[in-house]
Amino acid sequence: MKKIAKSLFTIVLVFAAAVCSGMAAAQSYPSKPLRLIIPFPPGGSNDIVGRLIATKLTERLGKQVVADNRGGAGGVIGTEIAAKSEPDGHTLLIVSSAYAINTSLYKLPYDPIKAFTPVAKLGTGPNVLTVFPGLPVNSVKDLIALAKEKAGKLNFAAAGVGSFQHLGTELFRMLAGIDIAIVQFKGGGPAMIDVIGGHTHATLGSLIQFMPHIKSGKLKALGTGGSKRSVVLPDVPTIAEAGVPGYEANNWWGILAPAGTPPSIVGRLHKELSVILSLAEIQKRFLDQGAEVDEMGPAEFGPFIAAEMAKWARVVKEGNIKAE
Amino acid sequence: MELLGNVIFGFSVALSLQNLLYCFIGVLVGTLIGVLPGIGPMATIAMLMPLTFNVPPVAALIMLAGIYYGAMYGGSTTSILVNLPGETASVVTCIDGYQMARQGRAGAALAIAAIGSFFAGTVCTLLIALFGPPLAEIALKFGSPEYFSLMLMGLVAAAVLAHGDMVKSLAMVVMGLLLGIVGADVNSGIKRFSFGVYELADGIGVVVIAVGVFAVGEIISNLSDPEERQVFTSKVTNLFPTKEDLKQSFGAIVRGTAVGAFFGVLPGTTPAIASFSSYMVEKKLAKDPSRFGRGAIEGVAGPESANNADAQCKFIPMLTLGIPASGTMALMLGALMIYGITPGPGVMTEKPDLFWGLIASMWIGNVMLVVLNLPLVGMWVSLLKVPYRLLFPAIMLFSAIGIYSVNNSSFDIYLMAVFGILGIVWRMLECSPVPMMLGFVLGPMVEENLRRALQVSRGDPSVFVTRPISLGFIVATVLILIVMVLPAVRKRRGDITD
Amino acid sequence: MKVELRNNKDFWAGIMFIGTGAAAIFIARDYPFGSTMRMGPGYFPSMLGGILVLFGIYVMVIGLLRNEKIQGRWSLRALIVLPLSLVLFGVLMKHAGFMPALAVLIFGSAAAGREFKFVEVLLLTVVLAGLSVAVFIWGLGLPYPLIKDF
Repeated sequence: MKKIAKSLFTIVLVFAAAVCSGMAAAQSYPSKPLRLIIPFPPGGSNDIVGRLIATKLTERLGKQVVADNRGGAGGVIGTEIAAKSEPDGHTLLIVSSAYAINTSLYKLPYDPIKAFTPVAKLGTGPNVLTVFPGLPVNSVKDLIALAKEKAGKLNFAAAGVGSFQHLGTELFRMLAGIDIAIVQFKGGGPAMIDVIGGHTHATLGSLIQFMPHIKSGKLKALGTGGSKRSVVLPDVPTIAEAGVPGYEANNWWGILAPAGTPPSIVGRLHKELSVILSLAEIQKRFLDQGAEVDEMGPAEFGPFIAAEMAKWARVVKEGNIKAE
Repeated sequence: MELLGNVIFGFSVALSLQNLLYCFIGVLVGTLIGVLPGIGPMATIAMLMPLTFNVPPVAALIMLAGIYYGAMYGGSTTSILVNLPGETASVVTCIDGYQMARQGRAGAALAIAAIGSFFAGTVCTLLIALFGPPLAEIALKFGSPEYFSLMLMGLVAAAVLAHGDMVKSLAMVVMGLLLGIVGADVNSGIKRFSFGVYELADGIGVVVIAVGVFAVGEIISNLSDPEERQVFTSKVTNLFPTKEDLKQSFGAIVRGTAVGAFFGVLPGTTPAIASFSSYMVEKKLAKDPSRFGRGAIEGVAGPESANNADAQCKFIPMLTLGIPASGTMALMLGALMIYGITPGPGVMTEKPDLFWGLIASMWIGNVMLVVLNLPLVGMWVSLLKVPYRLLFPAIMLFSAIGIYSVNNSSFDIYLMAVFGILGIVWRMLECSPVPMMLGFVLGPMVEENLRRALQVSRGDPSVFVTRPISLGFIVATVLILIVMVLPAVRKRRGDITD
Repeated sequence: MKVELRNNKDFWAGIMFIGTGAAAIFIARDYPFGSTMRMGPGYFPSMLGGILVLFGIYVMVIGLLRNEKIQGRWSLRALIVLPLSLVLFGVLMKHAGFMPALAVLIFGSAAAGREFKFVEVLLLTVVLAGLSVAVFIWGLGLPYPLIKDF
């Protein structure tokens, strides 16, 4: 009897201690400077979004949030560092669609499902499908018809094996059932130039980058990659409504924390992030970068990532894409 | 006349005491940062960008431009003084610049680099203002076949870099090409020669190789032979170029500017290609090519002008096509968009105040660079008087921190150590690392464009000769080969390369 | 004619080229080769490897004919100690923090030279440490802990 009481008491004590320390963690959080790992080198969209968020989080949390670029291997290196960090809420990771795509492309040194707990989705960067204006097509349907007529003759420029532009094109090829060649470039810029110059026929890529050339008529926009029309290009239909039902391919950004980070801290971070995302200044900054604020909390963001992973896994498998 | 009005308008936007101050700060910070290897303009701009959010747009752009030019120039300073290339483009400057320093002519080398950069910067600012959009059209004419033929020409010309044994130099080019293959293959996505190491998936950083082979290698070599090192610290002569130096450099600066401007317009090339090309041109045109590699001032003046011209003209594809040619440019692009300049064909008309303000501030940045750096030459040179036993641990430290900071990766430091050892082995065996660097820079582009061109043409090799620009480069390549193979033609090389 | 191989610079240069080329060909066997008109990722490295082997054989033969010696003096001490202190710097940056890494690198480098005076190197370390912290940590805001707590 005594023994049972004693062990019961111990359990209660341990439990209480755990609760207290959890509360203490939440109350004194953050206790030291935070680190936001950006798994890409400075300069890209992840870096720009990441630094913006780090600056604002610093103001909200009252502790320095340091942007820590750990580029390499398509984001795998930085993500691994974050996965192996202390789950005390002082290390965060900014991810993009590459995080979901990498799962099916690489043998990862971390478990993409179990290693992290979602904090918040930040925004979406829409894609747009464009063609060289000399190509005699005016809609997605025309393009598909032309591709079927000239099977294997059309060249689509893409931003590199495993990039979301590449997989978005691959998804288009699968859903439209066409035979096209996907030509790889080192990044979206060179791919875009090649299409403007008329060396390749079509390309799918980030709206902000293509926008000036769509306006000046050097590229013809056929459809956007989102589930609804883009605010910036309201006259252009989505690819889904223009003839490829079910098509959706966008870039997105979000914040993850190492698995085991106390839920109270995740909640606090989400609260601060949603305040930040509601600021007019941030919304304008996102628009300047061709992105739209698209907030999700931990409860929605987790399933969203899972759905993205499943979608790209199918594309990678059916398109027989290999990056190893 | 309209242009004149625009330029005056630009200056009226850019020229205020406050803006000049921002420009000065930018150039100063940029130069100091550029001196550190690895921490190039990119990291600096990325880190300082948030500071500029609260500054008026024109002032912020001026400061960023200042950082950019300052950092470009700062990289050359250490190349000349201690054989430490701060970035890829300065590898070429190491060849003759460091030799000049060894002969006590570091001051002349530094000054000519600043003067050449200023000249190139001025000419190219004018080019952007006058012909920006039409020049961008040239970039659009370059598809994969054109890039391949151009790079092929560069590779064949690499034989000019040969110093001593021709076959060994060519073998070193191949060595560089192989090193360039490490990492993910653009066309297929397969990771080659990466041995499952994630850090190698993006290839070997060019600065890692350059710092390892040149800087670490040089230190080991100096420690092996301390007497030789003493000689070169003790006889620092005049700080500024002599009349003779200026006369010799003038042609090189003009040609370097032209070469750099050409490559600058093409978004698919890096500044290192411009400076290598300029070096090869100078060596080929020289009356006595054997002076090169032994402290020829043209070997500093040409590439330094070329690399600045390239950096400046890279604004053309960026502003008119929205194509950043490098990470640095991507950041500048991001900054421009934050300040309301949307790159694209309409860039000049949409926000003329910002556009012409930017043009004016580029030039002000170049002026500031010379104003700041000519007086600094004396200071840099006196740095050489620091006893070497104190100087070299400092060089090691700054190189290591700089390399580490690129990716915050220890792996890069290990690689740097490996390339330090290789640098020494190559010196012992008298295999020059300079052709290797050229191969390393060109290799991936040659392969990528060749394979892509053949993919697009569905395996038809005639694309290289049926497209006029590509054909032009192929013909030039053949001519260069003939010039090199037939010694009889060599005597008249001047009329062919012109 | 007696051929001394141990010091023969072109002989060893040839061996280095042959070795590198052969290794490249060997590793590239794992990558799809393709054909001249549709090159696979293995095509380029195999070709380059082959060319390098040929160059290597030529250089090696020249070396055997000319028999030129490796010139100059080479300090084995510097060749080992400098790269080693770099490696230590890398390891310490990862596990111990900025300060220990910095100190070890400076002391290591200084020890690679011939004139090593402890007090002088200590002073140099202090000066460089102050400078580095000011420039890199405060000035540029690089996110490196000075000393990691264990």
